[in-house]
Amino acid sequence: MSAQPDQRMLVAEDISRHFEGMHAVDGVSLAVPRGKITGLIGPNGAGKSTFMAVVAGTLPASSGTIRFEGEDITRLPTYTRARRGLVRTFQLPSEFARLTVLENLLVAAPHHRGDSLFGALMGKRYWLKDEETLVDEARGLLKRFGMSAKESDYAGLMSGGQKRLLEIMRALMLHPRCLLLDEPMSGVHPRVVEQIQYYLQSLRADGLTILMVEHELHLVEQLCDSVFVMAQGKLIGSGTMASLRRQREIVDAYLVG
Amino acid sequence: MNTYYAANLLIYAGVDIIAVLALNLQFGVSGIVNFSFIVFQAAGAYAAAVLSMPPHTAADYSFQVYFGGYQLPFPIPWIGGALAGGVLAIPVGLVVLRKLRSDYQAIALLVTSIIANTVINNARPFLNGAAGLALVPQPLQDQVDTNTDSYLYLYIALTAVCVGLVWFLAARIVNSPYGRTLRAMREHELAATALGKNPVALKMTMFMVGGAIAGLSGAILVGFLTVWAPSTWLYPETIILFAALIVGGRGNNLGAILGALLVPVGFEEVTRQLIRMNVGPPNVIPALEWVAIGLFILGFLWFRPEGVRPEPRHVFEGSPETELVENVGTA
Repeated sequence: MSAQPDQRMLVAEDISRHFEGMHAVDGVSLAVPRGKITGLIGPNGAGKSTFMAVVAGTLPASSGTIRFEGEDITRLPTYTRARRGLVRTFQLPSEFARLTVLENLLVAAPHHRGDSLFGALMGKRYWLKDEETLVDEARGLLKRFGMSAKESDYAGLMSGGQKRLLEIMRALMLHPRCLLLDEPMSGVHPRVVEQIQYYLQSLRADGLTILMVEHELHLVEQLCDSVFVMAQGKLIGSGTMASLRRQREIVDAYLVG
Repeated sequence: MNTYYAANLLIYAGVDIIAVLALNLQFGVSGIVNFSFIVFQAAGAYAAAVLSMPPHTAADYSFQVYFGGYQLPFPIPWIGGALAGGVLAIPVGLVVLRKLRSDYQAIALLVTSIIANTVINNARPFLNGAAGLALVPQPLQDQVDTNTDSYLYLYIALTAVCVGLVWFLAARIVNSPYGRTLRAMREHELAATALGKNPVALKMTMFMVGGAIAGLSGAILVGFLTVWAPSTWLYPETIILFAALIVGGRGNNLGAILGALLVPVGFEEVTRQLIRMNVGPPNVIPALEWVAIGLFILGFLWFRPEGVRPEPRHVFEGSPETELVENVGTA
């Protein structure tokens, strides 16, 4: 990659993931530039979600190295990666259904004094201040994402689009440095798609780095600064959407795959 | 109803409340399907017994064999019982809770319960095998006469203090941000992990805390009964506690207490009354009790899965909803 070393926030080197002989991800190397939205596209079964899971630590890599901010994180568990600022969302809705929308956000907050057995046993006076600060922060996010009125509803009762928004907000409560979004707009009403698109652009303007898997190519074209293409577990191309459209084999892989 | 019977009922109620509060922390709040719960109560009972009994070589005790026999004064046996439950949770948790998916965890824990019972039943030199331990000293028995009503009142008071303590701890955990994290893990473990929560650490902690509370409940029980044997902690005892929690309300401490009073205590009482009335052949009523408990669980899961006292919805001060007063509390 041509980007400067310090511009590469997340680097995957020769990542493979095998399932009993099947190469779901096969020697993928890529670098995600800081402060940009990077797309990862490819036909169904290309290994995009598996790759995202390996980067997030949900699945261990069979081989290869992942560096985040220059540090080797390949052997770190998911929760440690999340605490360091590499936060993923899921392809399927993953809200905490029997928690309210506001509670969903509060759960994600790191460094809460009441979020340990010791803190809990110390009682409310010990952690109330943290709680109040975080409730304010969470309400700020809800306002920004236009969901203030829903804060006390169970998250399980939200619509598909609202769950998507909730999941992005929840990730933001961790103050991530890099978001991994797995199809954040699948199964969502077009109006909410526009909303999510707008929020992602404003997050980029705030300096957040995003790597996202997406199927809708027109969205990828509008949102992503650069794009990686996967097919059959391998990386087969990269560049801007416009440049990719001119490459014969990539168009073929997409249409055929 | 004589004093002894009333005391018996109250102490059982206290022990069951403590146990169901612990199960609520594990199953209701954290989603750990601990089908070996009763093993931790048994561990507490055995530990309290061998801590308070004299060595098995002592004159009146030579008809049984067991390890230990330390003759330690109250409250050390009770504290030891709680510790035993908590410490036993470490190896069991490390084997079961780390790698297995949660439905397999439930099966593994059920099997653990059966294995533990079989082993203790057959390994006689360890804890006197199937015959169990007898003549377990009662708390403070060298200072006060245990054959009086006032000793019963004292025992009820000691039990009540423990119930209060456990209730206090459980309430602090459930109503804290830590409790919220536990509920999040229960709802979607993978998502909680992706948000920086360590599910193994959370589960292990609750397994140990719940195990310690279960151990305390066993210690209280054995101090009152003065006997403890494998037949008192067969795996169906765990099912009764689950029934209590499902009926009372998972995730709600008040529900746990209510369930403990309704199912283990209430059922025992009704059964006893029916047996006294001589309805049907002698073993029919106890057998029907199991049928009734099974139907009770099914009925609640079908018609009111959230229980009598459901887990409360947490509405924060300043929520848009709190301004619409009529809507508060209607979910």
